[in-house]
Amino acid sequence: MKPINNKAHTLQKAVEENHVEEVVAMQSIAGCTATTDPGWEIDAFGSVTSLCQPMESDLYGCADPCWWPAQVPDMMNTYPDWNKDAHASGENWRNLGTVFPADKD
Amino acid sequence: MKNRNLPRLAGGVMVAGMLLPTTSSYAADAEQIIRDNCLLCHSEENASAPQFSRMSHQRKTPEGWLMTIARMQLMHGLKITDEERRTLVKYFADRQGLAPEETAGSRYAMERRLNTMESFESADFEQMCARCHSGARVALQRRPAQEWEKLVHFHLGQWPSLEYQAMARDRDWFDIALEKMVPELTSSYPLQSSAWESWKAAPKADLAGRWSFSGQLPGKGDLHGTMTVVAKQGDRYEVSVDGQYADGSPIKGSGRAIVYTGYEWRADLTIDGVKVRQVFAASKSGQQLTGRMFEAVHDEVGADIVAVREGSAPMLLDVQPEYIRAGSRAQLTLVGTGLGEQVSLGDGLQVVKELYRDDNKVVVEVMADAGASEGARQVSAGSANGASVNVFSSIDQVKVVPEFAVGRVGGNGGSTPKYNAQFQAEAWANGPDGKAGTEDDWRIGFVPASWHVEPFDERAKADRDTEFAGVMDARTGKFTTGAAGPNPERKMSTNNAGNLKVVAAVKEGSETLTADGQLIVTVQRWNNPPLP
Repeated sequence: MKPINNKAHTLQKAVEENHVEEVVAMQSIAGCTATTDPGWEIDAFGSVTSLCQPMESDLYGCADPCWWPAQVPDMMNTYPDWNKDAHASGENWRNLGTVFPADKD
Repeated sequence: MKNRNLPRLAGGVMVAGMLLPTTSSYAADAEQIIRDNCLLCHSEENASAPQFSRMSHQRKTPEGWLMTIARMQLMHGLKITDEERRTLVKYFADRQGLAPEETAGSRYAMERRLNTMESFESADFEQMCARCHSGARVALQRRPAQEWEKLVHFHLGQWPSLEYQAMARDRDWFDIALEKMVPELTSSYPLQSSAWESWKAAPKADLAGRWSFSGQLPGKGDLHGTMTVVAKQGDRYEVSVDGQYADGSPIKGSGRAIVYTGYEWRADLTIDGVKVRQVFAASKSGQQLTGRMFEAVHDEVGADIVAVREGSAPMLLDVQPEYIRAGSRAQLTLVGTGLGEQVSLGDGLQVVKELYRDDNKVVVEVMADAGASEGARQVSAGSANGASVNVFSSIDQVKVVPEFAVGRVGGNGGSTPKYNAQFQAEAWANGPDGKAGTEDDWRIGFVPASWHVEPFDERAKADRDTEFAGVMDARTGKFTTGAAGPNPERKMSTNNAGNLKVVAAVKEGSETLTADGQLIVTVQRWNNPPLP
């Protein structure tokens, strides 16, 4: 396989230089995930440039198969209706709610 | 509760029987809620005291129990009221909580210190558990082997793609989880422990009274004041707070608190119009509270707090500010309780004038000799001691705290608020060897600085991260993140994320000392439970 874009080149370079494990292990800030290739908050290089962003453009492609379930509501099992008011995530992302059921009264 | 009126102990502490009786009304209420709502899936076990499958064989923090019950609501259709849920959290946290020793080292998760860089001895634990959520979420639970095993099965059943992610597809994840992690977790975090047995049996203090507190709010500075706590039924309290920041601005507010597990203080207050939460741990004697007070919506804004009960043994909590420059004259505020007449500041420091005094606070004008030796001085006011002040002659280096932080975009009409970032400049002295970065370097304290951000690397520069990711307040070190959502002004309409170098500049005489940290501004999270 040949890398054809910048992200792939960066990854390829890191693999060649044996840096992947090292950078991944560095990032363990409480509650963030860097290791779900790419992470949600941080990529494997401790940066944000190799993340899937804008994340709204393919959010459900990842949220549906539970890719970052600790950060993004997984729609396969836990929150199947999470996007019922936001079918086009790029346009309707404001309708996506937080999911922890806090006290209301 | 029938044990409310136990006799006073020698220290003047009222003791309440909180963990005991399944006969108390809230326990009976909780058990009825369980019988009415949970027994379609769970079963009542044959035991002398009420006992239920799964739920009676785990121990957790109040936040842990809240998350478990919320999960039952979200995933298994449990329908209960908020009041019933609060009753259950109280019941479980009291009966099956964690001993004070068992939460030590993991309290940052309950205290919402989300910029904590976690580190665990077990690489397996980091890679198998803490790579998706905080390790503290696990370290704050206690289970026997069969319950840890069920948790593994639950994870794979609920999130089946986890085996395909990095650090899972390269190994036999399921086998490692069952064969290696279950024994490791059972040994590190067992259901039964001597700490819990002895805490269960220990007397628990009533926390009513007046408390003297001190703290520090990053971006704002030192603070101190008094907190008045009035006991209500069922380990609940009414709380009012009256204090001030170092700049003289007031801290006034009130609200309610509840104590779980005999020492886990949780209060929801409104202070100066802002909803705040206190997550404190009471000391075993019930004479001190330690923890963090943070804004309910912006929990990144929060102060470290320590409090001592009036009427307990004299104690000095804090000297504010925490340093004085040799050869200078400055005001120092001593905060504690039972502060005596005789203020002693140690070699080279003299009290010039006493400016204010009450039992909890003494303000003095202090002269530090030009030749005063560098280092910490133990301070006392009468028999109250326990705090120190740092004498320094020059600031030799500065560090940015935190060195690494994560902020999140937010707002812009979405459901998640911005998660901003707050930095502080920490002054250090080089110590006797005069060299920076050696073992004898010592911390002076937080000092004012001038702040700005720069691109962290070439990529951040090319993507113009500093223009989009947010704005740094040059004076306070508070970084307000950018708006959530795709940004059409950015390449590929990407989010207002960024990788920034955070630079602090501190004037020291004619020199300017600088230091930097790193700030990642990233995207919002919609799944944001009490334990990260």
